[in-house]
Parts: sequence; C-alpha cells; structure tokens
Amino acid sequence: MKNITRVLCMVALLFPLGLFAQKEIIIEPATLTMEVGQSKQLNAYVMENGKKLDEDVNIVSRARRALSIDSTKMAYAIAPGVHNIIAIAAGVRKDFTITVNYPALAEIKIEEIPEKIYAGTPIELKVKVIDKSGAVRDNVDVTFETKSATIANVDAFGMVNTMVPGKATITAKAEGISNTITVNVVKNPIVSIQLDAEGNEARTGDVFHFKAKALDKNGNEITDAPIYFSFNGKSDNVSQSASGLIKQDGRFVADEAGRYVITASCGVASASKTVKITAREVARKIELVGHGSVSDKHTSDFWVWEGVDGRDYAVTGTWGADGTAYFWDVTDPASIFKIDSVQVDARTVNDVKISEDGKICVISREGASNRKNGLVIIDVTNPRDVEILSTFDENMTGGVHNVFIDKGYVYALSGGQKYYAINIKDPRKPFAVSKFELDTPGHAIHDVWVEDGIAYSSNWGDGIQLVDVGNGIAGGSPENPKQFASYAYPNKANHAAFPFRSPSTGKFYVIGGDEIFPYGLNMEGPNMAGGYLHVIDFTDLDNPEEIARFEIPYAGSHNFWIEGETLYVAFYNGGVRVVDLSGELMGDLRKQGREIAWIIPNDPKGYVPNAPFTWGAQVHKGHVFYSDWNSGLWSAKVEPEKPKATKIQSK
Amino acid sequence: MKKILVIGAFSLLAIAVQAQNYYVYVTAESEDEVSVIKFDGKKAETIKTIPVGVWPAENEGPHGITIAPDGKHWYLSMAHGNPYGTLYKYETGSDELVGSVQLGLFPASMQISPVTGLLYCVNFNLHGDMVPSSVSVVDVETMTELTQITTGAMPHGSRLSSDGMKHYSVAMMSGELFEIDALNLKVLRTLDLDEASKMAGMDHSMMDHSTMDHSKMGEEKKTAPKMDGIDHSKMDHSKMDHSGMDMPAMKHSTFKPTWVSPHPSKNLVYVAGNGSNEVLEIDADTWKVTRKFVTDKGPYNIDLSPDGKRMVVSYKTAAKTGVWDLESGKELARIDNSQKVTHGVSISSDSKFAFVSVEGIGDDPGMVDVIDLTTNKLIDTAYLGKQAGGIAFWKIER
Repeated sequence: MKNITRVLCMVALLFPLGLFAQKEIIIEPATLTMEVGQSKQLNAYVMENGKKLDEDVNIVSRARRALSIDSTKMAYAIAPGVHNIIAIAAGVRKDFTITVNYPALAEIKIEEIPEKIYAGTPIELKVKVIDKSGAVRDNVDVTFETKSATIANVDAFGMVNTMVPGKATITAKAEGISNTITVNVVKNPIVSIQLDAEGNEARTGDVFHFKAKALDKNGNEITDAPIYFSFNGKSDNVSQSASGLIKQDGRFVADEAGRYVITASCGVASASKTVKITAREVARKIELVGHGSVSDKHTSDFWVWEGVDGRDYAVTGTWGADGTAYFWDVTDPASIFKIDSVQVDARTVNDVKISEDGKICVISREGASNRKNGLVIIDVTNPRDVEILSTFDENMTGGVHNVFIDKGYVYALSGGQKYYAINIKDPRKPFAVSKFELDTPGHAIHDVWVEDGIAYSSNWGDGIQLVDVGNGIAGGSPENPKQFASYAYPNKANHAAFPFRSPSTGKFYVIGGDEIFPYGLNMEGPNMAGGYLHVIDFTDLDNPEEIARFEIPYAGSHNFWIEGETLYVAFYNGGVRVVDLSGELMGDLRKQGREIAWIIPNDPKGYVPNAPFTWGAQVHKGHVFYSDWNSGLWSAKVEPEKPKATKIQSK
Repeated sequence: MKKILVIGAFSLLAIAVQAQNYYVYVTAESEDEVSVIKFDGKKAETIKTIPVGVWPAENEGPHGITIAPDGKHWYLSMAHGNPYGTLYKYETGSDELVGSVQLGLFPASMQISPVTGLLYCVNFNLHGDMVPSSVSVVDVETMTELTQITTGAMPHGSRLSSDGMKHYSVAMMSGELFEIDALNLKVLRTLDLDEASKMAGMDHSMMDHSTMDHSKMGEEKKTAPKMDGIDHSKMDHSKMDHSGMDMPAMKHSTFKPTWVSPHPSKNLVYVAGNGSNEVLEIDADTWKVTRKFVTDKGPYNIDLSPDGKRMVVSYKTAAKTGVWDLESGKELARIDNSQKVTHGVSISSDSKFAFVSVEGIGDDPGMVDVIDLTTNKLIDTAYLGKQAGGIAFWKIER
C-alpha cells in the first residue's frame, strides 16, 4: 500500500494537471462588478465529477493595489478597471476578472482664469476632471462650447480666443457633468510691443535674453499683458531647418547658422527682431598620444595624479575579472607603462580614487569570493611599490560600486542603496562616521562625487541629490550629512553627476548623466549604449531647472570631467567627446556645434577587438586621459585654442 | 485505475534506466551567463551559454535557477537591479526569454509547486540591513508577483514539500526555519534553529526530564528572536515601512542556516547550518530535530535524491561535497571539489548523479563537478563562466 501511495505521488508530481483535469473551481458570484470603495464576499469551492470537495481554495488578485482580496475571500475595490484574479486549489486553478467601475464624475475644475483678459489675446483653459472618489481623471474627453462667440470662442483643446470686450460664458462638458465659467474680456489698451535684446549677432549656442514690453497709446507699460515669444528662421544650410529653443521669459538660443526672427506678440500687437547667427566654430583637432593596453580583461574606472615625486601616475580598475588594479607611469603620455599592480578578492574593481596629496588610493571591491565586499586602502607614495594598508567592509558587503576621497574621508557606496562617509585620516584604521540614504520607496544610488564640501550623488529615479558634507551651506559635515537640494528627471536613469560653476556667467550647473542600454546585450562584439547628459541650472537651489542637454545619437553617456569651461565625457561606443561649456547653457548643445573634438579608442587587439566602450575621461596637465572597457588606458591631446580671428579648420 | 497508474509509473522508471545524457542548467553569477551542461555518463561539458541581463557594463548577478515541473521553462533570479532584482522566464531548449517580473531585494533560490503552479522565490537581501525580508510568490503563467510573505533576515533555500503544499525557507541571519502554506500563502510555523541545534546537541538520555517545564518550549520556538515576545508569524508585515528603521538589535545567528530541503517521500526537512557545520533533520510533524549530521566546514546547499536514499551537501568553506546515507545517517564520502567555494547541488531524477557547482575565486572559471552516487566518486568537471552558482537538473535524454 505504501509503495502504491509513493508511486501515485510520483505520478502526481509528473502529471499534476492531467491528474486533476476534471477538477474545477467554482466562484460565487460567477461575475462581479464593484464600485470603488466597495467590499464583496466571494465564495469558492472545488467541484469534481459533480461533487463538491472539502478542499481549500485561495483567491489572489493580480492587481492587489487596485483590488485586494483577503484570506476570508473578501474583495476590496480600490481602483477602477478590469482586474485579473486567480483562484487556486490543489492541482487546479481558475482565472477570472472582477470589474470595478469608474466612479461617476464629480467635478470639472477650470483653474487660473485671469480676472480680465485683453481683447485679442488668447488664454488656454487649465481643466482638471475629478471623479467621486476624488481621483483626477485623465481618461475623460472634455468638450468646450461658448454661447458668446462674438466675444470669445473656444476650440476643442480649450484654447480661448477673445475678440471684443464683454463677458463670455464657456462651458466644459464631460460624461453628463459640466462647468460654466465667465471670462471677462476687456478693452485691449495695448497698441505696441517694445522688444529689446543685448545685440543682433551671436554664435550658435549663445543665449539671447529678449525683453518685451506691452505699451498703451501713451507709451505706458501694461505690466499684466500676456506676451508670447516665438521665432522663425532660415538656416544658411539650405537642407537644414533653422532650429532653436525659445522660452516664454524671452530666452532664445539658435542651433544653426542663419537668420532668425524673434517675435513678441500680445493680441494683434507684435514686434520682431532679426538676429544673425554664425557658426560657433569651436572644433579643434584631437590627436591620439598614447595607449597603455589591457587586452586580457575589461578595464573600468581610472584616476591620474601627480605623485609625491613629481612624476605622473594613473591607476586603473578591472571589471569582471580577477580583482586586479594596475598602476601606470604616465609622465610621458606618449609612453604609458605599467609599474605595479594589486590583486584583491574581487571580480570587479569598479572604481579607483587617489587622495588630494597623492599618497592614498582607495579601490572598490565587488564579487568577493566570500560575498563580503568593501574597499581597499593602498599606500601609493611609491607607485612602483604600492602597499595595501587596510580593508574596510563593515556595512559594505553588498559591493562598493563607486568611491570618492575628500579631505581624509572616503565616500563609499554600499549595496547600491546608500553611501557611507569613512574616516581614513589614519588609513590603517578606517572607520565609518555617517551614512546618507534616501527614504523613498525602492531608492537606489549609483555614484557620489564630492567638491567644495558638497556631495553630489546620482540616485537613478531619485535624481541628483546635493548633500552638505562640510561646505556649510546646510550646516552639514562628514559626520552629519545634510541634504539641501535635488532634481530628478523623468527617465529615472541618473548615473553620474558633476558640478559646474560657470566662470563666464556665475551660474551654478550640475550635469547629470544617464546610463541606459536600449539596444540589449552583446557579449561577443560591440555594444551600443543610450542616454545623454542633462544640464540642470541649480543657481536657484529651490527651483532647479533642466535647461540643456548633450546627446550623441546611438551612443550613451558614462563618466565625465569638467576643467575650466570644457567638458570631457565618455560616451561608451561614442568614445570621448570634448564639449564647449562657455557662456550660458540652453538647448541642445551638440546641435549648437559646441562639440570641440571627439576621439574613439578603437583597438583591434582589445579584449573585445574593435569594440570601443569608453568608461571615463580626465584631464591632467593638458592631456586627456580616458579608459576603455575593452582596451585599457589612453591619452590624447586637444589642439590649443587659436585666437578667434584665425580661421579654424574643422576636423 | 490504480493498476494503470502503477504500470505507467513503472514504464517511466524503465525508460529512465536506459537514459544516457543528463542536462543541467547552471548560472555564472559574475559572468551574467547561464550554461547548459551535458553529461553523457563519463564526460561533462558546457554545450551552450546564454548571456543574461541587459546591462553590458554592470554585473546583474544571475543567482537562482529552477526548472518548471513540466520541464518547458526555466526561471532565473537576477540579484541586482535599481534596487530590486528580477525574475526571468525562459523556454527550455530554445532558451528564449519569454517574460520577466520585478521581485524584491536580491531574489535568490526558488521553486515552483506542481500543485499550486506558483513560484516561490526568497528575497535574499544579502547586503541589506538586518531586517526581515520576504518570499515572493509569482504566478508564472502571467509573470505577476502576487504577494510578498514576510519571513526573516536573509532568507535563502526555497523548497517545497513533496506534495507541493508547504514551502520551506531559512533565514540566514535570524536563524529561523519558516514553513509557509503554499496555497493560502501564510507563514504556518517558524523554528529557532540556533535553539533547535542546541537542544539537539544535548544528550537527553542522561538527563532527568521529570521536573522540566515543557509547556513553554513550543512558544519559545515559534517566537521570532529578540522581538520582545511578539509573535511575528501571525503579523501581516507586508505594509510595514522599514525604511526609517534602524534595527541593529536583530539576532545574528551562529547556526547561519543557508538551505532547507524536504524529503521526497517522508515528512522530514533537512537544514544546512553553514555557521555550525551541521545539517539538522527536522520532523515536520513534531517540528523538532530528530537527527544532527556533523559535516565539514560550511555546509551550504543540500539536495536529496528522488529515491530518498541519499543526501548530498555542498561544503562551501571546505570546498568539498558530502554524500550521506539517509537511512544510516552516515557520511559515505567527502569528496574534494575541483576548486574553492563549493556552491549548489542538484541530483538527477534517476538518483544516480549529483551535479555540484563550484564558484572559484577571482577569475577562476566556474565549474560543475559530477559525482557518481553509486561509487561516490567525482567523474568529470564541466567549465563555465565565473562564479558558478545556482544549478538545476533539467532532463535525461536518450
């Protein structure tokens, strides 16, 4: 008997569906429609060959945040929609749906209607539809109508065009409810627009600040006049459109050389100005200088520094390999050669950093054989004979992806969720003094960079976080980090951040870089990345504004460096890009011709041959150094900038 | 009807005896690859490598792998995301990706119940704070995470009872064994494994138990450690916000359980004590330790042969594999693995061979050692990408 039971069990495990095929779960009620906020008791049981079995049935919602079902099979309708439910008993399941109706609409709100509208000027109605559950609905068609069309008419999108003074009623309707408002159209006193700008000639990428005033017949300014800025243009290149960006505060930037007409209008009054835009012409030659090959493994991040002996050195990490970091002599950038290495228990040394005095190196560990990762502190006073001083893994076991050294502290990421400040003033006895971690749901972090006592962390969906770790702006210190500003952008891909205080404008920008791989994974050959740099104007810390971008088609941003007013950015398969950041920044920097130079490290003897995948860039003593995932460490030299009057030959 | 089933089962067994080629899927955690290993009875080799993940320059860490009971799909847990890991569903044979769903922090080992059809995956949260983590329950037909059941700190080893109705996992840092109702998705019982191990270590034969008060022992075992007497097994932790908590007081288990495997036909479960170098046999009826097996250093994963005769234990620290006879409780062999850091074990469906993944260190290749369970000898080794980890027996093919 025991053996038969065993065999039956084995068969049951092999053919569970076949064995129980005749079983069926019955749900009562068979169909169910609910209202938001309602609860309903479900009943479920198993039938087999017409007999009701005494077996447990569990009912589970596949959309538990919209419709939850508890262990007593009570269903709670939370949000509208058709929700998929699964009923499970031993060896049998049933899929069914419960419909939760959308609540009836409660209100159509029309917001921010000005007290008076000057005849001839348009306004756009800001409409919000709210249902009886209090939810704002964006899946409802709203129609508009007016019975005072001679005073004001309204189009299908809620744009109101005003004609003559008077009161006009406008009605918004949706699913049986409506809201009627009255707009007060008054006589338009505006007879002219005065439009001023700093000049009428500039280069592509230079930002104009147009000032417009609406004036009455006596020349008095009408301060509450709605002024609308627009532009049209003609490119010098006949096959190119005259693109640019204009903001409704009068800022304008052109992408192409040509003539642009900027117009400020208020009703029938308008004024235009023509500006001549010439090509930015910042392109310079860049020449490959040297290469320190790493062809047996992937290379990760690097750092170049002047050693205590006055010579120049670099350290590079390795990725997905044997935990090695290499030390190089780069005093002659044309002759880069290895001088030492360390190997630690890791598979990836993702990041490497050097202290300001050139004596201490910190490398990160991921993929340790005992799964206890962390960081390693190395004496690089003599880079030809480096010495591991200590390791630190307390709270770091999840892997340290990136680190930064600032004034005796290491800021080290932990497990991709937070960073710790670690005192390394005695590098043989490091100890953590604080941590910074967001409290948002599902928060994650990728990088941290410290400058002038401010830590700039890159937090994917939570964007760029500015934390006072000694600057004093928010009373913070390494022991007591204080967050004081942030900016998150919609694609949730913030991977790196670098501050840029513009010398020519005084503006405080932070450049945030994406890391995205939209084209999948190719382990055998070249890969392509996506994503771009976002330029955020943090001059007003409470109201940061994303104002510009730098994007390379079919390549993606990674690590970058800014020196003076020049950006050096690794764009993975797009190599290193050198970008002019001079002046105010706005719009599409690449289209504006701000790219000074580019170089791609293509190595037929690389770890993956001919598959450039540039990791990062750094400028040191006039040379651009850059590491490449498949080929090691490189150096290049950008041709010096020539006097403006000299004709520059493009690359 | 019974006769037909018995004949059918014996026919299946007869076919299995003639089997020649064995196939396993194994992950290479630091390579972001999954390899298919073929073993023909003498030679083991990687016959296919499947790149997994989506980020070329980030290590996503494929950790756990399991085959569906019907053999049509394999499932892979990717440990690292931003921050949550992901479960991927692939078709066996073609190895085409057919679906994915985001789970919790560092999703790791998992199994599908042939009875409920649901997949149960522990959210290991290996590198997180010492707070309770969870078991994700996934409807694999639609790749939807149905719920997360809160268990202990660093849950690992996700295995189902032979009837598919009970799910077992252990919490490595809080030292607990969890039994979950696989149908109703509730924690039924917990066991403090540090206490259970100590109790099992006592020589009760020499003790006078007559004056002992046993009335509170069960309660103590069911109580989560150092939680002020609160019975967390009865609480709904799903809506707890741990983000603002600093919970340094949670117990750090010295037993450090890393795996649990139920017996294929008896109501017993076997728990690896990675920190105490022992495997405990626990009677799932009485919820008490019945035997303790003293092992080499660092027992990590366990698999039991489908015939119920052998227990194979990976000794991670010792870089060895132990083969135990379950009836006698004796270790039949302690076999040196091909390199350091022994990881997972998966036994063939005919109970003849154990496939053991061995991580290696640094840029060592990952390896799969094949052990003959009749001779208890290592027969051959297959090589794959770095850090061979999760391993799942797929099929025998003639």
